[in-house]
Amino acid sequence: MEHPILFINVILELIGLPVPHTVVGHGLAEQLCVPYMTYTWLVMGFLIIVPRITMGNLEIMPGKGQNFWEIVVGGMEDFFAENMGREKARMLFPMLATFALYISVANLIGLMPGFMSPTSNLNITLAMTVIVWLTHHVLGFRYHGFNYIKHFLGPIPVLIPLMLPIEIISNIARLLSLSMRLFGNIMAKENLLTVLFMLAGAYFAPLPILVLGVLVSLIQALVFTLLAVLYCSQAMEEAH
Amino acid sequence: MSQTSKEIFRQLGLYSHIGMTSVFSVFLGLGFGYWLDYKVFDEKTAPYLTFIFLGYGIAAGFINLWKLTTRMNDEENRGDKK
Repeated sequence: MEHPILFINVILELIGLPVPHTVVGHGLAEQLCVPYMTYTWLVMGFLIIVPRITMGNLEIMPGKGQNFWEIVVGGMEDFFAENMGREKARMLFPMLATFALYISVANLIGLMPGFMSPTSNLNITLAMTVIVWLTHHVLGFRYHGFNYIKHFLGPIPVLIPLMLPIEIISNIARLLSLSMRLFGNIMAKENLLTVLFMLAGAYFAPLPILVLGVLVSLIQALVFTLLAVLYCSQAMEEAH
Repeated sequence: MSQTSKEIFRQLGLYSHIGMTSVFSVFLGLGFGYWLDYKVFDEKTAPYLTFIFLGYGIAAGFINLWKLTTRMNDEENRGDKK
């Protein structure tokens, strides 16, 4: 994860802030200046400021910028609605769309020299996964009340000692696989790019990996969002 | 995006999930059993709980697969009716 040069680190060091040279810093100031934190804030800033600038005022006859954002937001809403119904998709739209946009931008900036993907750190992906995991259980309890427990008990009471541990294990496996997949894919891409840039950066050797990186970044963002949608819709639908 | 490529991406997401979930289920089961055996019960129950929870883990992997298949099957049937 150590890129040759990360431009935010350079700027922070010029200002005089302590930038750790390990993955995790010591003390609060260093931990706040860890690259994955600063680049998360960069992505957040990007996602807050750029739509503001490009969209302009909302009009009935949309201009270029507004058209683009309408397609992005409308496409996402249709995608969620296909999987969980229009009403529920509207309710969960802010969270899911934030994940989709944040993850895709965070993955893609890692392809540029001088930037890193915040998602190549397990802390970020695990935090997002915990949010999804807690949300789908909270939704389950909200929609079914205490009967939500029945989702974990299997079809007949005799099977409870068998089904309960199985369901608990598979639920925790969800937590792990969702976070580890995103983290693993992005970290692999980042490390591969770093190594190739250092070994053969002057030639076009990293180019195929860059192309693959675009594909992987978008697919991982889509998969994360899709699985979040599926877990939420599973928790909300009736037990069989 | 056309309807087919959307569907392909969807299935790509669903199926790429399978391998990871199965592996993590098995190792979670094994790890939990091992923890119970060696940390909680101080080797009194070793190695039985490890094996029991390994069994649970493997079963959890298969149940996940089963659930996904039935789900896809349901969706296909629903798609046919439309």
